[in-house]
Amino acid sequence: MTATENPESESPEVEPGVPFTLNGTELRADEGELLIAAAERHGVHIPHFCYHPRMSSVGMCRMCLVEVDGGRGASLQPACMLPVTPNMVVNTESEPTTKAQDGVLELLLINHPLDCPVCDKGGECPLQDNAYAFGPGESRFVEEKRHFEKPIPISDLVYLDRERCILCDRCTRFADEVAGDPLIHFIDRGAQTQVNTFPEHEFSSYFSGNTVQICPVGALTAQPYRFAARPWDLSENESTSMIDSTGARVALHSSQNRLVRIQGVDSDATNWGWLSDKERFAYEATDSSQRVTEPMVRADGGELETTRWNNAIKRTVEALAGASDPRKIGVIGGARLTLESQYAWSKLLKGLGAVDNIDAQLGDGLPADVVMGLPRATIDQACAGAGVVVLLGPDLKEELPTLYLRLRHAVQFDGVSLIEMSPRQTAFGDSVAARLNPRPGAAGQIAAALADGMVGTSMGGIPSRELTAAHALLTSGRPVTVVVGRGNLAESPDVLVSAIASLQRLVPDAKFLTALRRGNVHGALEMGLTPGYLPGGQELSATIDGWDMAPQSTGLDTEGMLRAAVNGSLETLVLLGADPLRDFPDAELAAAAFERIGTLVSVDTFMTSSTQRADVVLSAAMFGEVDGTFMNLEGRLSPVRAKVTAPGQARPDWMIAAEIAQAAGGDLGFTQLGQLQSDIAASVPGFESVDWETAGVVSDGPVVTAARPWRLTLAETAPIPPADDYGLRLVVDRKLWDNGTMTSSSASLRGLVGDAVLTLSPTDLERIGATSGAEVKLSTSSGASRTVVAEADARIPAGVAHLPFALNGLQAQELIRAGEPVIDVRVQP
Amino acid sequence: MGYFEGFAVTLAKWGEGVTTREYRGGRKNRKGEISNKDQKAPKPERAHGRHVLNRYEDGMEKCIGCELCAGVCPAQCIYVRGKDNPDDDPKSPGERYGYVYEINYLRCIHCDLCVEACPTEAITESKLFEFSFTNRSDAIYTKDELLVDDAGMPQKLPWEDWRPGEDLQTSGWMRATSPSGKASYLGTGWSGELGYGVRFGDLPQDEKDASTAPDPGAEDHDDHDGGHH
Repeated sequence: MTATENPESESPEVEPGVPFTLNGTELRADEGELLIAAAERHGVHIPHFCYHPRMSSVGMCRMCLVEVDGGRGASLQPACMLPVTPNMVVNTESEPTTKAQDGVLELLLINHPLDCPVCDKGGECPLQDNAYAFGPGESRFVEEKRHFEKPIPISDLVYLDRERCILCDRCTRFADEVAGDPLIHFIDRGAQTQVNTFPEHEFSSYFSGNTVQICPVGALTAQPYRFAARPWDLSENESTSMIDSTGARVALHSSQNRLVRIQGVDSDATNWGWLSDKERFAYEATDSSQRVTEPMVRADGGELETTRWNNAIKRTVEALAGASDPRKIGVIGGARLTLESQYAWSKLLKGLGAVDNIDAQLGDGLPADVVMGLPRATIDQACAGAGVVVLLGPDLKEELPTLYLRLRHAVQFDGVSLIEMSPRQTAFGDSVAARLNPRPGAAGQIAAALADGMVGTSMGGIPSRELTAAHALLTSGRPVTVVVGRGNLAESPDVLVSAIASLQRLVPDAKFLTALRRGNVHGALEMGLTPGYLPGGQELSATIDGWDMAPQSTGLDTEGMLRAAVNGSLETLVLLGADPLRDFPDAELAAAAFERIGTLVSVDTFMTSSTQRADVVLSAAMFGEVDGTFMNLEGRLSPVRAKVTAPGQARPDWMIAAEIAQAAGGDLGFTQLGQLQSDIAASVPGFESVDWETAGVVSDGPVVTAARPWRLTLAETAPIPPADDYGLRLVVDRKLWDNGTMTSSSASLRGLVGDAVLTLSPTDLERIGATSGAEVKLSTSSGASRTVVAEADARIPAGVAHLPFALNGLQAQELIRAGEPVIDVRVQP
Repeated sequence: MGYFEGFAVTLAKWGEGVTTREYRGGRKNRKGEISNKDQKAPKPERAHGRHVLNRYEDGMEKCIGCELCAGVCPAQCIYVRGKDNPDDDPKSPGERYGYVYEINYLRCIHCDLCVEACPTEAITESKLFEFSFTNRSDAIYTKDELLVDDAGMPQKLPWEDWRPGEDLQTSGWMRATSPSGKASYLGTGWSGELGYGVRFGDLPQDEKDASTAPDPGAEDHDDHDGGHH
């Protein structure tokens, strides 16, 4: 909670708010503000355990009892349950208050084991702190304490020690209210009450780490941090998570130059303090044995050998300068980089090298002009009450979990209506106001029908009442935000573009959040790591000071580059933290391209499957080791900060770019981060007035909104072949835990990746004659044939076969053909 | 020519007799024997020397790797890392044990704050200070050197001059704060430890003045279960 929620009064005559007296001082609270929050805002800390500003109050712990006179005499009341009323008199220091605090702490400590020296919370524990500050100092309890089995793993990531639990209801409330995974709960009664999971159901929530952070004692501890360090040998740096494009604010904790923990930081604009377990625990990857710590070149013998930077840079320059034409150089990736590094590489390649075959997306995103040209919403705008949100994209819980938490809160508590236009039912479940799950390829037609008001009949398996409900919401005049992303990698993005066009026709004021998954992909597009644009969305014909060799013609995207490589017309390919062999949705094309590529340069942090094929490997420093800036899906800038030094010879990406420029006889014009940021401010529209030092530190970071010199025009209809009667249309989407680089390099997360299972609607599975859980034969029109376990899932619409991307077992990318609008498959028992 | 002035001072003082008392602890003759004349001077009761890591009477390590000693150390000479006790071979009672324990004796000022901070009496100081090193790695004592041996006796390293009976001075003698936190508390109480059983700590100062100190390593072996407090 920041002071922004307390608008200072402009005119002294009509002072807003509720007058009340706190410890003898006349103060004002906001309308409906809880006493505990109002006191905190005015600098009076009322001790508490169960109260959490981002969750509903329950009054469980009684620690916040204070003496309140509401007009009928003073009594002890819990400050977390009490909205401030006019002329309330509150005393937080009176004798009855301190006696109540004494008593509550003595009671809480009766069964608390006091194993603080071995407890991970010891040293930063609210129970310790409050016992010191407000407790009696002595216990009168001499009897045996309550005993439970010491920590029991309730999931792969979280341990539960019930002896330490003070039954504050924070974890259970979080799981139920915030995450919507009510997997942890109170059981038994009275003195035997304990928190636990349901038998045989582990606490496998994507958000389980948050319960560890909000636990006021050491009852819930994180397995990756278990005994890794004590609070007093941690040092902290606030940064921004680069795991996905939400841009959650985080605090990086290190000990002995090792990242040991990441905590969520409460940012009003983005994550509200919550993190997904991936954002929280994937720091382990920095220590991975798969890290590339030294530059490497492929020796004559065909093996990658460690070399000096000079040599590796020289080989890179030879590969780039040796290409006969800038159009024969391709660059894939860049979403892993900080904004500054993205600009440096963009300037190196486009400004000095006239290369335009650059794409930060790997065929799994949206067209760059759509991402940059659509009017952007902020998360706050999307979540504002009385709004309508259209989810034209993936299951956000799987792809952008912290954004999902914000939207879920908006839908559950703030009256936001959600229209689900995802290819399958998402985690929003029954809380959606209208459920349209268009079959692959049909989203454009459905959106067009909504725009035309043709909602009287059911369409493509979507009942008329859902279409009518959606149409009514979209035409109700309520503000509309469309969250658009690739919910189906087996479907051409043209379908989404067509649907966006129809929605814009129906709701011209609609705003958009582009739910792209990769970390800093919005920054990459903004910095020009996409074909056809210079930084800031400027056209190639624009002139930028210091960019002497701008590209002449629009280059190729990732698919185009891979095809060019197959044709032999791409001589050099540079990977900027990209792994096309694993991430490009068409495995066959990527493999064929890698067979034919001339020289492959990889600037990477990990030895990925693509990097293993490289001729030159430049070792880059990764998140946690670099300073810079992040741009999230709103266009919001927030700082990324180094906490530990990069291993070995690894160095920030922008330095690598600057050295390549120098070795090639050019000059990027910066040798320090500050100079680089000034260069961005001078060259990129929208960044003129960014204060790089304070952006996102003193307040939520600024949202960069640059007017584009061009206007986005969208095509409304994309031709989709008709579905045949016996086939199913393939939906391929991402799970949070997949074999992506960060997850597979993190020791605690690796094991969470599941097996790929084909899911069908129960009716389809029955029609095919297969049983749930048995293997089926899956074949595509292009001839690929695989066996995979199939299961019935009522969340999958009829006519659809759903397969997650990049899990263990069957790789969905083997079934996808780039360029096909949809993929039809046949499933046989 | 400045160094001749220094020699001049030396020569002028030649034959004036020794004003400082030579401490001969650890001095060996040319045959490598410690001569009879080589006796250590008696040390004050509360002298602080080289540390030991104690064990419970069942052999379990007392250290739980809580890092309180490292946190309190003003010289920052202690480095501790905790780890989960292996289920099949627990090193200490409870969940956590000291996986890494290092004291850098080039930095240690023997202030004994680590001993006071230790919640399990795992680290105590002996009175041994007759040790010196010829390289840095010898000066960094790890768990291998600090932990008492299987008989509960401190390990005697080649560069340390242990004399008979000195290992009895390893613990059980001083603690400035009372375990209960009460300001009125006097004296110390100690749990059992390997090699010594339960020993008496210091008597309260007033009682000590009135009586002689009890025999350390005495009777009163109650079977301590090894649980930490």
